Amino acid sequence: MTTPDYTTDPGHGSTKINLSQSADPRRVLADRVEQIYSQMPLGIIGSFVISVVAAYELREGRYVEIVVFWAGLVILLAAASTGLYWSYRRTATKASEASQWLRWLAISALANGATWGFAGAVFFPSHADEQQVFLAFLLAGMVAGGVPIYAISWPVYALYAAGIVLPFTYVLGTFGNRLFAEIALLVPAFYAMNVGVAWRLNQVFDSGYRLRHAYGKLTEDYTALNQRLEQQLVELEEARRQVEASGRKLALFAERSPIAVFELDDAGRVLSFNPAAENLLGFSSAEVLGRVSSEFLFSDSVGAGVREEWSQMLKSHAPKVGWRLNVIRRDGVEITCDWSLTPLVNPENRVVSVIVQGRDITQQLEAERIKQEFTSTLSHELRTPLTSIIGSLQLINSGVMGDIEKDILELTTIAERNGQRLLDLINDILDVEKIESGKLTLILEAVELGELVTESLTLNRAFAERFKVKLVAAGDLRSVMVDADRKRVLQVMTNLLSNAAKFSTEGTAVEVSIELVAGETVRVGVHDTGPGIPENFRSRIFGRFAQADMSHTRQIGGTGLGLAICKRLVEMMGGRIGFSDRAAGGTTFWFELPKHS
Amino acid sequence: MPSKPLNRICYVEDDEDIQRIVRMSLERVGKMTVEVVSDPMVAIERMIAFKPDLVMLDWMMPGMDGPTLFRKMRDTPETRDLPVVFITAKASQREQNELHAIGAAGTILKPFSPKELPGQLRSIWDALP
Repeated sequence: MTTPDYTTDPGHGSTKINLSQSADPRRVLADRVEQIYSQMPLGIIGSFVISVVAAYELREGRYVEIVVFWAGLVILLAAASTGLYWSYRRTATKASEASQWLRWLAISALANGATWGFAGAVFFPSHADEQQVFLAFLLAGMVAGGVPIYAISWPVYALYAAGIVLPFTYVLGTFGNRLFAEIALLVPAFYAMNVGVAWRLNQVFDSGYRLRHAYGKLTEDYTALNQRLEQQLVELEEARRQVEASGRKLALFAERSPIAVFELDDAGRVLSFNPAAENLLGFSSAEVLGRVSSEFLFSDSVGAGVREEWSQMLKSHAPKVGWRLNVIRRDGVEITCDWSLTPLVNPENRVVSVIVQGRDITQQLEAERIKQEFTSTLSHELRTPLTSIIGSLQLINSGVMGDIEKDILELTTIAERNGQRLLDLINDILDVEKIESGKLTLILEAVELGELVTESLTLNRAFAERFKVKLVAAGDLRSVMVDADRKRVLQVMTNLLSNAAKFSTEGTAVEVSIELVAGETVRVGVHDTGPGIPENFRSRIFGRFAQADMSHTRQIGGTGLGLAICKRLVEMMGGRIGFSDRAAGGTTFWFELPKHS
Repeated sequence: MPSKPLNRICYVEDDEDIQRIVRMSLERVGKMTVEVVSDPMVAIERMIAFKPDLVMLDWMMPGMDGPTLFRKMRDTPETRDLPVVFITAKASQREQNELHAIGAAGTILKPFSPKELPGQLRSIWDALP
């Protein structure tokens, strides 16, 4: 497909075409050459017939041999011209070598003209007056007759006519007769006029050819454009079908969606309302279509805030997600819904409509409130009796109440230890609950980690001694400030240290180290001498209620919640937690915290 | 730091078991004189009679909760300046901040350790202006 040579004016959408550029000059020349060649047969036949008549008329002079020679020359030339014509007709290079063919034609025209010039020059002086008139008439006719034949290329005509006129003018000028000398002066003027006419005709032909070509090209371009338009129409139709299909699909989604979906225009008027919205709010879509939603959905106090947010959203075009808002159902009951609003913006950057999705979360909020209340009550109600149990046993076991029998002391010690375990479990469960409900807030401050770790060693030393394990610092604990929650770092350390003590071999030491990692992070490592983490347990070690071998749960104790809590706490402080095997046996549990900047 | 050592404690608590443990802890471990009050409604009269150095209040009690009793003490001239320590099972940071905000001298979390309770109270006492 050719690219039409046009430019598009974006301001007006009109198309301007440059005609002169549209015609290819080579093709115009080829056309002209073709036109001249097509006139050759007429020229050859005309020239031949006239020369036969002339030869017949002139045969009676004194130089019959010269007349016969001239006739032979004419026949030879006619044959050569016919040959040229024949070759041109058969060639495949008509267009590509048009200028070459024009040159051949120019030579042929010059030769043709010169033949007649020869006739004039030779026969004029040697014949009688009557025949001289005949000759002059003949030559003038040949000069004039050449115009329509050769004028398509004026230089060709100029050569042809010059071939006739030059010898004849010379003969006239040198004849010795005054009248003839005067005619000799007029002949070049006559020649010039004819060439002028030929030149003018040449121009007319030329612009005719250019126009023909330009319009030919325009027609081609027009056809190409038409084809493209047709193609685009087909594509548009296909696109329209696809849009319609996805529109139907979307409508179906909205129709069958379990979530309330409605569309509002920028003024908040309801454009569509799906069945789930009818269910949620109790209005039928016929009742609400065209009405401003804020007028029937909200109480006055809520409505004002909603209008404020609405106009902000229209300005910013930003969708609103997770917007908790109370709405009033048709039966007057107020419910809390979670809303998502998505503004649809057209290419002119204007909000055309807003898609609203909502679901009732009243029940969910109530459930959350009950759960929170339950947790709080549980916390109080479980801790109060434990306070009495553990408190009483501590008083007995500490000897404040006087000496007790060894067997009894053993039992009360067991009772105290298990009371403590129960308390740890309750605390862990409460922590998990708080973390999961997002209620755990940390107080991040600049904390001196070295001191804090030393403090944790002191606090947990007594516990470790029960397993005959020492807690020691590996070298000097580096003094470094981190951003963390003091209490929660102690909780993490207590968890890691008690785990390490529980699993280490009796008589060994758990080492604790602090090191800088990658400049901005500080890593605390707790290195135990335990049996290592079994392969099948590694992936779920930080999960809830995770314990390697369930037989340990009784043997060693613990809730299986500790590491899960540690992981969340460390992550909430912007750090991470992990473990690795020690080369000498045992495991290193580590956590990293961001260095205070 | 107050000029005299901590000696007389008034404890308002509805749970009799905890009352006993606290009394034994403070008397035996801490060698202090303890007045325990079960009914918060009569607590202020008893405080006026007993003249404690420091008052310990439970948070949740039937009839009147600890913070309410605390505010009543602040409205009574004789008890207005008594330092108050809350003993509570409400462990959340928010609740502790709340107590601090209304002017509590300190909080002790349940379950507490009877061995350490006198020491904890003395630390709070020593930190008072």
